[in-house]
Amino acid sequence: MSSLEGSHRWIRLIEPACTSCMICVRECPTWCISLDSHAEPVGGLPSGARERTRNVLDRFAIDWSLCMYCGICIEECPYDALEWVGELTQPGFTSEALVEEMVRPPS
Amino acid sequence: MTEVAAEDWLAAVEALKADGFDYFDWLGCVDDIGRRDCLRVVLVVRNLSQRAETRMLSCSLPRDEASIDTVHGVFAGAAWHEREVAELFGVEFVGGDRRRLLLNPEFEGTPLRKDEVLAARTGMNWPGAKEPGEYDVSPGRRRLVPPGVPDPAVWGDRDASQPAPDPAEVAQSAVGGRPRRRRR
Repeated sequence: MSSLEGSHRWIRLIEPACTSCMICVRECPTWCISLDSHAEPVGGLPSGARERTRNVLDRFAIDWSLCMYCGICIEECPYDALEWVGELTQPGFTSEALVEEMVRPPS
Repeated sequence: MTEVAAEDWLAAVEALKADGFDYFDWLGCVDDIGRRDCLRVVLVVRNLSQRAETRMLSCSLPRDEASIDTVHGVFAGAAWHEREVAELFGVEFVGGDRRRLLLNPEFEGTPLRKDEVLAARTGMNWPGAKEPGEYDVSPGRRRLVPPGVPDPAVWGDRDASQPAPDPAEVAQSAVGGRPRRRRR
């Protein structure tokens, strides 16, 4: 195991755990996280039950040109849907290339 | 914490040092806007021979004329802390080192005063303004605003013929969260 294991290098979204609650986006001091979601009705409810919706994550992106790797998003996520990864983020030659789309919008 | 008047500041620090509290720990500043129209300079010293006992001194200064004696003659290490407080809060340390410590020489403003506005952000769209499950920011709701960006009605879109906004009003409108509607 390398001594750099678990160091501040890359932040990854654990998509199944994300509820699109927007907390990471709002807590980010550099405004580097973008999140789009939409509400979908929950099916299979018994007849007469109140309609329910759940939020579906459509897009999750981190702009690595803005991120300062403070880890506040990881700390604040109530569902542990963000984690540190020991690998480095990808370099890019343009600022657009530094925006990592972790969840893409459905085309 | 012992509250000291500005004119007694240097003497109080010297007295603490003579009393055995000869280890300088830190010097900082708190913006008390919203409670009082004051900046509070805080100094902490320790007595390492008595199980590291600490003493805290504080001194309230008016925001518009924040000026206090330097203590870097008593504790040389306080000079950096004073330079930091001077540039971040706009406190003048009389007789102190006037050079900048952290900020660019051309930077204007006092970033840690609570009425300081993150001006570049007032024109940007905050990604957190959307609610979960929303594609766009829906109008009409009590919208969330990011910290550091004031209400445009208080700062920015304000009527130019009106007097400048009160610093306490600017600070209050820039705390973030879901602001209450302003009472007119």
